[in-house]
Amino acid sequence: MTIFLQSLISGILVGGVYALIGIGMTIIFGVMRVINFAHGDLLMLGMYGTFYLFTLFNVDPFISIVIIIPIMFLYGGFLQKVFINRILGSLPQNQILLTIGLGLIMSNSVMLAFTSDYKILSTSYSSSSFDILGISISTPLLISFAITAVITAALYWFLLKTDTGQAIRATAQDREAAQLMGINVKRMSIIAFGLGASLAGTAGALISPTYYIFPQVGSTFTLKAFVITVLGGMGSIVGATLGGVLIGVAESIGGVYFGSGWKEVVVFVLFLLALLFKPSGLMGKSNA
Amino acid sequence: MRPLIRDIKGFGALRAIAGLAVIALLFLLPRFVENTYALHIMILIFISIVMGSSWNLLGGYTGQYSVGHCAYFGMGAYTTMMLMQFRQVPPWFGIWGGMVVALLVALIIGSICFRLRGPYFVLASIAVAEIFRVSALNLKEITNGAEGILATEIPPLKIGGTLITDFSSKVPFYYTGLVFVLFVITVTWLLQNSKLGYYFQAIREDQDAAHSLGISLTIYKNVALSISAVLTSLAGSLYAVYVGFIDPSTVLALDLSVQIVLICIIGGIGTIFGPVIGALVLVPLSEALRSNMIGEFLINSGGVKADSAFGSFLTENLSHAHVLIYGILVVVVILFMPDGVLGFVKTLTARKRKEAA
Repeated sequence: MTIFLQSLISGILVGGVYALIGIGMTIIFGVMRVINFAHGDLLMLGMYGTFYLFTLFNVDPFISIVIIIPIMFLYGGFLQKVFINRILGSLPQNQILLTIGLGLIMSNSVMLAFTSDYKILSTSYSSSSFDILGISISTPLLISFAITAVITAALYWFLLKTDTGQAIRATAQDREAAQLMGINVKRMSIIAFGLGASLAGTAGALISPTYYIFPQVGSTFTLKAFVITVLGGMGSIVGATLGGVLIGVAESIGGVYFGSGWKEVVVFVLFLLALLFKPSGLMGKSNA
Repeated sequence: MRPLIRDIKGFGALRAIAGLAVIALLFLLPRFVENTYALHIMILIFISIVMGSSWNLLGGYTGQYSVGHCAYFGMGAYTTMMLMQFRQVPPWFGIWGGMVVALLVALIIGSICFRLRGPYFVLASIAVAEIFRVSALNLKEITNGAEGILATEIPPLKIGGTLITDFSSKVPFYYTGLVFVLFVITVTWLLQNSKLGYYFQAIREDQDAAHSLGISLTIYKNVALSISAVLTSLAGSLYAVYVGFIDPSTVLALDLSVQIVLICIIGGIGTIFGPVIGALVLVPLSEALRSNMIGEFLINSGGVKADSAFGSFLTENLSHAHVLIYGILVVVVILFMPDGVLGFVKTLTARKRKEAA
């Protein structure tokens, strides 16, 4: 029972970061109807940014998000303006391939610049943990979960209460109608992609103390982001939050009971089952 | 899609003769070219054409964008290699095993993934391929896991006591690749002009309309996938025996699936020669980067000093980034020539003809 609780808790903690990744992806999908295959690579950029901020300027990884968020926002907006906006009307497969291409460019440029060596960011608290009722909780995971919770709450507030947030949601609901209501949908798309990118970058910063950093790390997270968004219902932010936590728990418990090598299979089987039996996702409204 | 008869008359006859001349040249090539590196590049191009053309049947003609084709490539590679290494079955029998396994896998994957459409199908195809990769990684007793399988010895091919080849040079692989390419292109050509091919294209254009006209989506999508998978496994088997080493991160990786799709996208999907063009563009480019020809050229030509910081950067790193070229190419192609190189050339010539008229 302790083992179960232990893996449940660590699953929820990791799931918080997964939720960030999933929310970013789902915002991008919701507003643009583009599946962002470069999402994991954006996360990888966040990891590298954090790593170099830490090693060169001694900035704590959890504080570095203050720098990572605006930079990634601008970078995402740039990608949207220069590349993605041009292909919004084209075939979905071409959109997918464009983002795959952008992801390849990002990961390979990083490989050129920093080699493909594995990097480890070790802080004084990287491997520290504390016990509550016999369950050990990793400190960096707990801090990152707390930050995730704050960011998610802020994001909800932004999307629900501010004018820009409502304009983004309107664009996601019906692009043409939003445009007719005088919303600048191109600008909303740029903001949405910027948001998605900065969420991915933040997730990268948050996991960098507990993960290996290398140029190809992104593809794993791109796949996880798909699973989370589909599970939650493409475009649903609440769904992505739930999906992220669910995948974190499934991975952690699957790792304990089937061996860590198989935990990804558990996730993908879950994903396929969700696709087959509820393609609109946990929170999805539209039919696939 | 033009009727056969017209192709043979007049202009078509010229084209047919040119085609035969190219094929004859390709068959004679190893007699003149001693350079093993040139043959190596040709073999890689052949493998790329086979996998691109096979994907093209499903993605280009039937409109089902599978980004999990590494599963079939890997099935071919693993079955042939495992039979050869662990059961001493020579590869020319093993290839058939690979085809059978790929077919079975395709039927399973098809029955799951074809319930989904559009982006959901793409995601499901990726997920299934990933399941195969992780399984190959974990089933260490069967597949050697992450260590991969190394081919120690390929048995010599004998027919009735006479030695055909002992696979000591690249030439037998060259001919095998060439035959596979011709076979796959012939299959594509036959399909394009057959009733089955028209069904495929109808599904691509509008699957609901096709369905209401009585074309069973489940059956024909699965037929397209099965043909595509079996042909892809050929490329996988050839790759495995030729390179002599396979592991899950090379033959079952998402990168490979993406590469397969890119070959078609860059050349032009849904055309017979699109994958050929794509392979001819991609393979030499990425090989030039991988073997660092470009870096060496820049240094040897005196453009960059070898001992300068930029020079050493080029020699050390450029070879690692051959995938970068795939990324840049795909972005350029999607933004500026969405129908691929072949489509781009066709529009250009059409425009010129219009201006001339």
